[in-house]
Amino acid sequence: MAYDPKTGKGLGDLYSAEHRCTKRREWKGLKDTLYDYGCWLRLLGMLGCKLGPVLPQFFRGLKRYRWLVSYITTPAFLDRHTIGLRGYELRYTHQQFYAVLQNSAGMIRDLLERDENLNPHSKKAAELRSKTVIFDEMMPIQIMNGFPTLKGIPIQMAPIFVVGEVDQQANIYYIDAIEHYGLASDVCPLPAAEAGCCVVDDYPKVGAAYVSSSMPCDGSVASTMYSNRYFKLPNYQITPPQRFNEPEVQEYAVKNLWGCVEFIEKQFNVKFDWDAFFEGVKRYNKESDYMIEKWDVNCTDYPQICGAALALHREYEMQIASSLDPKMCKYDAKVNKLMKKGYAHSVETDDKPRYRAIVWSCPAHYYSNFTYWAQNCWGIKTLVDMECMLAYHHYDEHDKKKVLVDMARGYERMTMRSHSNGGYVNALDECWKMCEKFNANIVFMYNHVSCKNFAGLQGLFEEQARERGIHLIWIEHDLMDPRTVSRKAMRDRVNRYMTTVFRAEPLDPTLVDYDDDLTW
Amino acid sequence: MKDLKHLYYFEKLLEDANNDLVRQAKAEGRLALGYTCYHMPEVLLNLDGCFSVRLRAPRTGSMEIATYYMSNATCEYARALLERGLEGGYKFLDAMAGVDVCECMNRGMENMELLGVSDPEKKGFFWCNLDSPCSDDEDCVAHLREQLSRKILKPLYENYGIDVSDAAIRKAVERHNEICRLITEIGNFRKLDNPTITGYEFHILTLATYVCPKDLVVEKLRETLEELKTREPDPKKKFRAKVVVVGSEIDDPELISLIEDSGALVVADRFCYGSFPGRQEIVLTEDEDALTQVCRNYLQTTLCVRHCAQHKVQKRLDFAAELARDYHADGIIYEQIKFCTYWSYERALASHVMHNEYNIPTLSIDRPYMSRTSGQLRTRVQAFVESIEIKKIKAKKNREVK
Repeated sequence: MAYDPKTGKGLGDLYSAEHRCTKRREWKGLKDTLYDYGCWLRLLGMLGCKLGPVLPQFFRGLKRYRWLVSYITTPAFLDRHTIGLRGYELRYTHQQFYAVLQNSAGMIRDLLERDENLNPHSKKAAELRSKTVIFDEMMPIQIMNGFPTLKGIPIQMAPIFVVGEVDQQANIYYIDAIEHYGLASDVCPLPAAEAGCCVVDDYPKVGAAYVSSSMPCDGSVASTMYSNRYFKLPNYQITPPQRFNEPEVQEYAVKNLWGCVEFIEKQFNVKFDWDAFFEGVKRYNKESDYMIEKWDVNCTDYPQICGAALALHREYEMQIASSLDPKMCKYDAKVNKLMKKGYAHSVETDDKPRYRAIVWSCPAHYYSNFTYWAQNCWGIKTLVDMECMLAYHHYDEHDKKKVLVDMARGYERMTMRSHSNGGYVNALDECWKMCEKFNANIVFMYNHVSCKNFAGLQGLFEEQARERGIHLIWIEHDLMDPRTVSRKAMRDRVNRYMTTVFRAEPLDPTLVDYDDDLTW
Repeated sequence: MKDLKHLYYFEKLLEDANNDLVRQAKAEGRLALGYTCYHMPEVLLNLDGCFSVRLRAPRTGSMEIATYYMSNATCEYARALLERGLEGGYKFLDAMAGVDVCECMNRGMENMELLGVSDPEKKGFFWCNLDSPCSDDEDCVAHLREQLSRKILKPLYENYGIDVSDAAIRKAVERHNEICRLITEIGNFRKLDNPTITGYEFHILTLATYVCPKDLVVEKLRETLEELKTREPDPKKKFRAKVVVVGSEIDDPELISLIEDSGALVVADRFCYGSFPGRQEIVLTEDEDALTQVCRNYLQTTLCVRHCAQHKVQKRLDFAAELARDYHADGIIYEQIKFCTYWSYERALASHVMHNEYNIPTLSIDRPYMSRTSGQLRTRVQAFVESIEIKKIKAKKNREVK
């Protein structure tokens, strides 16, 4: 417990309304603080190793790209997600985040060394660009496993998606830019910020072909009309079917996906390498197995890897790393081993969570550590997050036809898309199924105020939760824009529910009301 | 101008979804099939024994119940339909042919289905959520064909015994084409220097063809066409500028009326429920089955913003410019219904591109579902008209100086 009832000091005291970073690092006891500090040093070391070779471009990039500056706060991002954690949970979280961050750092290095804006006369950079395919960020790039001589980069990922989680203020400039351009302010700020980044010319120029997509929502589809005009590259659009629960739609899905393979083959004059692809498939299957094990453990009375450590890692692993990074599997194996030990320890000490919750609908990017706050303040353990419940079915490891169908199904069940598309059953019925499976009676129902897809089911969620006796805690947010709903306002929704409905006392009263509007 | 003989008749038909002609056709034993979107090929809902009703919610006031179910941040059109459905306004329908192409309308349909707005007595009633692809290549055509065969034609045949053969589809296309020819001919009067039909009148006629059994309006449309051939225009032009209206769903003729009352004559209607696209003939050949050709036609002619492949975006921009040129418009009004994500993106982009690259004055507006009383909209259109006039005066002066 981080809260000391004698002194009245707790985790909320780490924050200051006037400062962007916390006042000090948290004291977690000798052993855990040493471990935490060691991980902090390891992170800095990794960043140094990954970005060292592109240091000149990095410094030029700080002047050229507004978003790049936010990445300097990466250690603080990790700290936010480990505040209040101890023992095994601290270790899981560090390991999970390290896996993600080492891959992200690699992606930033890839961008910096290729970028035409930062390397206008470099032949090496031009050569790298000629072998790079850029992708829309809201789709996996698993297809690139079959093109080992080429590089696939989800282009909006570093400038918009990830950085919005690292620094809550990072996307605001791009959202404002596109709204000044004329876009209505009621649309989802994620694709809006992506379009805004086009309008202010803040994307690195790194590829020779562009694969756009129709995933996962109307805003995402529509914003591609901006990126297409901006990148001015040969383009192919992956458009998975909407009603993907129907087996009949898979024929089209496969043709559409294979069209992308043919497009890349034609643009780069290379052949799809099935052997390399199947190697990637094997990695994907292993990663999925590890994920399923995590879920299975979380269904028990002694959940282990919860909150953002579970959700962000899975999202990132499938969508961005896309089985192209063998290190992800290595870290998965390590975490899996640790998880088994942690589970045995929890059973031994009968360490059960106070409340069990799942997260549904899309969470706020600017408050990815929200679930840790709920855990530290109220003892609510978040067992699973809708965003990480992407495809987890096995891909065939030998048959070319079968694996394409499997991959098409994987693309259809991408981040957000797996629940927001394909009909209400994937959003509504699935939510209740997960409550049952994870034995949770609380749902953190993220009410993304600009998401029409889930807004359209609001009344039905309300009614059906009531019928089932599930505590649906609506938490408004605006995904990438903390000005619409602040982190504090999000916390207030839980505080009110816990005090009025559950009549609960907070575990750490200093976390009930504090100001972190300025923090990263 | 003298009032069109049948205008009042058509206006009355638009006051209720279950209007006199719908009731008449139902009394004759025909099936009423509801739909909302161009992506649902209208022509397939007009096979012998059935007719299409493109859904509207005329005279919508409060949408409180629908807002409870869909929140206040979703498209008002979708909410208005849900509200009307919950009020029992669509119980006359025998099937609902929905499409999963935009979030709000899709959720609106799903709410209607789950909340049971259909008549439980209708045992053959079926709901459809068509998966319409995002582009127009041959793979998309095959996909749409499969969807329509399974989700529309099969239940029509199995539940109601409707003839869905190739010959039946061709017959429906012929009937559809007749309406298209009439609307196109009527619409061509808008190309005149001093048009003999207003945008409001034309919108009323077009809307009627979407919401009534076509065979029951065709005669009056023919008469209207004849009437227009000899109709005398106003001796003095009542408008100050001509505009093309481009954008999302408009099923409220009062919006067109508001624009025209503000001094801008609407000479072309490039919006959902307008004539572009939707009232162009479907040309069928004998060497391929009719269903495939219908699917290809709808995918290739759609101007929906959902199709975001480069060639489709360019096609929409070019088409808007082409309409402005062909109908001698002075500007384009890009409009969107509030909370429509697709059109918000298109509107913002097009308002810049049209102005900067095509040199066409453009007004960009968003609006509620029912906008007849919007003073803000009126002011914006008036200001746009004035700006066009100023540009004309300046251009004239420049020519004189030269």
